Amino acid sequence: MNRQRVYIQATTQISIQSPLNENWMQNPIQYERPFIRSIEPNFRDFISPIEARRIGRLQKRALTTSLTVIHQSKVEHPDAIITGTGLGCIENTELFLKDMCSQGEYLLKPTPFIQSTHNTISSLIAIYTQTHNYNVTYSHRNISFECALYDAMLQFRLQKINSALVGSHDELTPSWYELLKKVGYSGNPSAEASVSFMLTTERNNSWCELGGIKILHQPSIEILKLSLGKLLTDNGLNLSDIDAVITGINGNQATDLPTIQIYKQLFGQIPLLHYKHLFGDSYSASGLGLYSAACCLKYQFVPSTLYYMETEDQIDNPQNIMFFGQSDYKDYSLILLKSSCGK
Amino acid sequence: MNEAILELKRQIIEVLNLEDISPEDIDENAPLFGGGLGLDSIDALELIVLMEKNYGIKLQDPAEGKAVFKSVAVMANYIEKNRTK
Repeated sequence: MNRQRVYIQATTQISIQSPLNENWMQNPIQYERPFIRSIEPNFRDFISPIEARRIGRLQKRALTTSLTVIHQSKVEHPDAIITGTGLGCIENTELFLKDMCSQGEYLLKPTPFIQSTHNTISSLIAIYTQTHNYNVTYSHRNISFECALYDAMLQFRLQKINSALVGSHDELTPSWYELLKKVGYSGNPSAEASVSFMLTTERNNSWCELGGIKILHQPSIEILKLSLGKLLTDNGLNLSDIDAVITGINGNQATDLPTIQIYKQLFGQIPLLHYKHLFGDSYSASGLGLYSAACCLKYQFVPSTLYYMETEDQIDNPQNIMFFGQSDYKDYSLILLKSSCGK
Repeated sequence: MNEAILELKRQIIEVLNLEDISPEDIDENAPLFGGGLGLDSIDALELIVLMEKNYGIKLQDPAEGKAVFKSVAVMANYIEKNRTK
């Protein structure tokens, strides 16, 4: 049986870079501070003030990126809406919990409660777009997005869907950042992420092809190599066909060095790219990693700012980029993106 | 504008997150529900919480709430007569 081929038909982001565009590829915004909140577009271009008043900031971002890819892909009602979020609507959760404490669990405002659940994001998109299909939210810390993407791929492979809106959305509050500091977390900078992808089976006008995804829990290096080999074989590729590997190195030497060691064992001399220095770290950062790789394949160039080593040779017309993610040395992910233009 | 009505309008704008709306935009005699503000049942709940939290007024009878929330002016008048804080 032929495998259902899946393409990224549209993708966009709201992050600490210029929102809803790819300006970061030419003119990335640099930051010197460790905690940065997203740059927001004018939400009124997408959501009326009356509608927006009961929608939290994260939901506005998620809805805006979703509406943008819906518009760009012309897929008004995707067969699936699948969201990955590590913390969900944490800002409203905090408001609700603070109210509970200050009011002695008595006088609670309904709006923060309504907005405080993780699946509010996916359900809001469904209600707003009148899309009453498969609707699922994954909340598994750093691999939330990968789980959402994996589900989408399974639905495509089973030929249950022909389109899926997959999102990766997280916000970062000052109190959460304080907790991160207390436990010694050092992803620099810490930020917010909202990324939406419209996946379809249509190749025309797509950004790139999604070749496959593997998620592994506490694998040995041998298992990682086997999974990588299987992913490549399934796509008719060899390791030498991979133009670049993009990883979630976040500036923390304690975790970056072991990650680079594993990368070397898996990928040898294939150029290494990174993205968290531009977009910051969050539970949804991997969505921005995949978005960055998709941009490189769509525009057929790799911005110099993405190269981890300044001495790296320039990659011309990239054809295949592998996303390699790791979280706490327990959860690993491999996502293959292939160019859908040319070859 | 009466200071009590102005203060109530500010509180309503804050708890209902009515962006782009200033106290002057709200007609104190116009219906709060079914009118231009587009308020719904969740807003009614928010207003009940506002009444109790800010003025110590407990609204338990839904029929009473319907009458109290008729307009900002009616609401302000009710608060004036029934507030405990």
